[in-house]
Order: sequence, then structure tokens, then C-alpha cells
Amino acid sequence: MTEFSPHVVLPLLLWGTLVGLDLVSVPQAMISRPVVAGAVAGALAGDVEAGFRIGVLFELFALDVLPVGAVRYPDYGPATIGAVALSAGTPWELGLGVATAFGLVLAVIGGWSLQVVRRWNARSIQRRAAALAAGESSAIRWLQYGGILRDAVRGLTLTLAGLVLASTISESIRLDRQTAVAFTLVAIGSALAAAVSSAFRGSGRGSRLKWLIAGLGVGIVIAVLT
Amino acid sequence: MNRSFRALLRLFAVQGTWNYERMLGVGMGYAAEPLLEDLKAVDPVRHGEAVVRSAEFFNCNPNLAGLALGATARAEYEAVPGAQIVRLRTALCSPLGSMGDQFFWAGLVPALVGLTLIGAVLGAGWWAIGGFLLAYNAIRIWTGYWSLRTGMSSGMRVGAAIGSSWLPRAIEWAGPAAGFALGAAVPVVAGWYLGIFGWAGAIGAAGVAVAGFALTRWFGPGLTTVRFALMAMILLLLFRRIGL
Repeated sequence: MTEFSPHVVLPLLLWGTLVGLDLVSVPQAMISRPVVAGAVAGALAGDVEAGFRIGVLFELFALDVLPVGAVRYPDYGPATIGAVALSAGTPWELGLGVATAFGLVLAVIGGWSLQVVRRWNARSIQRRAAALAAGESSAIRWLQYGGILRDAVRGLTLTLAGLVLASTISESIRLDRQTAVAFTLVAIGSALAAAVSSAFRGSGRGSRLKWLIAGLGVGIVIAVLT
Repeated sequence: MNRSFRALLRLFAVQGTWNYERMLGVGMGYAAEPLLEDLKAVDPVRHGEAVVRSAEFFNCNPNLAGLALGATARAEYEAVPGAQIVRLRTALCSPLGSMGDQFFWAGLVPALVGLTLIGAVLGAGWWAIGGFLLAYNAIRIWTGYWSLRTGMSSGMRVGAAIGSSWLPRAIEWAGPAAGFALGAAVPVVAGWYLGIFGWAGAIGAAGVAVAGFALTRWFGPGLTTVRFALMAMILLLLFRRIGL
């Protein structure tokens, strides 16, 4: 479990805010991908191994998301940071399962919070409808700044909630070793199901499927050799 | 600062006001502001109308929004009738959404993520993550620049410019590359996690994976992989509680 001192919490909150913003608003530079968000969070929390283990696992879940059009999806960025904070300092094979369950719930809440921000954006636009219809550039600018600010607050709140809950959960949940390992195996199996599901859905039945199968073959060889 | 460059920078925040009514509309209006500045001095009435049009409903892949932005900005300077510009914007939504989503979200991103996962679990760690961020951002920044420049140079003929560009060909290879990279990543990542648990643990996790894959296909989209994972964990807790 991460030590919740200011020099750990404040950088994590800043990182979570940036990660939350990156998913949709700005700059979409992919720092919100769980593998990136998790590794950096692990470094900030003092456990890089936990950051990579959690980040890679959540990345498998995130691969199942295709953010097209107005589709609704979980927000894995701040959720990964919360999960890393929960599992840091614990042997990964014991902490990964509980951290994954915690992170997935946070990700679902994060996805819901995106809808809330989008509805607020719509209401804000309705309030400035007259200025927009009059062609006022300043109205567009303020709407844009307001939207970005709302999303930043969303990212910050989610990360803060994740850290507070992680602190509470770590003190209240005690699992025996066997249950903790079983949780970890279920988490790994579920994440692999998400990745395989995403790969097959994206490949269809044409030539892309052949490339997927070829990749699987190469991956199996690498896995056996390493 | 050059107006096109300012517009390009603002395009990176084009989804800043994403909502279910205008979608990218306000973000497009924000990015269009620097491009339309000169019109203010030439024709203030036209400028006002152009600003209104720039912030109306619009949706596409954010990385290709520059094509529509540049094309409509040029059309405003060429005094193309407003109704025609609105039709162009509307007509560009679907193709730019479809092409951008196929290239970026279904091709480039999963391909790079697959390679990053392989690199990360094989020990490349930070190098894999740095390489991923560098490669993705180099491609998307260049695409953003190309989109805006192509849109501004082709105006109302932007459709033909897209058709003869690199984009349709890139989409053809991006999908197979994603399939290959993801296919290779799954066994490598599985080995990385399951190596320490022995055969019993690996078989158990594989069983969960097979069940998850099958159930989410049969009962999807209602049963997502996240819901499956949470349900499986709750079941596990119940089983442990009754001593199984």
C-alpha cells in the first residue's frame, strides 16, 4: 500500500488530472493509456513493478474499448492510478486481484462521470446559445475553456476518490493468501478474455484474421523462449 | 504566431467541449477562430456567419478534423454560399469519422499498444513506453498538420484530395498490423503473468479467459468484459465464503 504522504499524493493527483484530461479533452497524447498511466503512477508511488503489472493488465481491458462516435466506455486512466496506489508495496501476485476489482469499479464510475461532464457541456452551450447564434468568438472560447476545466476537475476528483478509497480499503480488507491468489488469477483471466475478444472482433474473418493467427503463433514462440 | 499553427494547436483540444448535441462543434469553432481572423477585416458580416457555422454540429475522428476545418475555412474566404459549406461539413462527418477510427483506433493504436506490451513485459519497460508515446504522437501530429494543410489547399475539393492521399492505403495495412501485434502480445503477456503460478494457476486463468471470451460474445454487448470480471470476482468471494 502506498504511503499517503503529501510528496506522494500531490504528484499522483496532478498525474491523475492530466491523465483524465488526456482521454478526451486535451491533448489525447495517449498518456491516459493504462500502461503509461500505471507505470508513471508506480514510479510516483515508489513501486514501479506494481505500476507495470497493473498498467499492463488494465491495458488488456482497455483494448476492448473502441472509442468511436458517441460510444460510452470506462475511464481506465485515473482508475489505473487508484489501483496502483492500492497495490504498491504488496507482492503483486497477492495484490493484483483486489487492485483490479477496485480499479474496474473506479473505471466504471469514471465512464459515468464522462457522461455527466458531457451533459454539463451541453447545458453550458444551451445557456450561451444566443451568443453562439450571434457569432461571438468569445462565447466559443469560454465554452471551450469551461469544458476543459470541467474535465480537469473530473480527473482530479476521480483520482482523489481513488486514493482516499484505496487508503480505506487497504486498512479494512484482509484476504488469506489462497483467496488473494485466486483473485489475481481471475483478474488475469478476465483481462486476457478482454484482449482476445478485442483482437477477434477487430480481425473479422478476412485477411486480418490470418495476420492475427500469425501473430498468435509468433507470440507463443516468444513466450516459450523467454 | 502563424495562424495555421495556432489552429493546429487548438485542434489538439478539439474535443474539449464534447457533448451529445454539437459533439465536436464548439471545439471546431475554437480551432477555426485564428483561421477566420482575416475575414473580419475584409467582410465583417461574412465573418460573423462563418463563426456561427464553424461551431455548429460536427463529429469525426479528432485527428482528421483538420481536413474539415481547413476546407471550410478556405471555402469561407472563397465566398462559397453558406448552405454549401454546411453541406460540405455534414458530408465530411461520416468519412472522416470512419477513416480516422479505422486508421487510429482500430489500427495504429492497438498495433503500437501490442508492441508496447511485448516490449514492457520483455524488460524494455520505460523504453517501450517512451517509444510508444514518441511513435504515436509523431504520427498524429504529422497527420494533424497534413490534414489542416490539405484541407486549406483543396477547399471544396477536399473529398478528392482525401481519396488520392496516403490515408486509404494506410488503413489497409493498419488493421492487419494491429491484428498481428495484438495476437503476438496476448501469449507473451499471459506467460509473463502466469509463469510463477505453475500449471494449475495457468489452467485456472485460462479457464476464466475462455469462459469470459465465450460469455461476452454470447451475451454481449450487455455483458462486457468488465462486468464479467466483476461478476467472476463476486462469485469467487461467495465460493470462498462457503468454503469451496
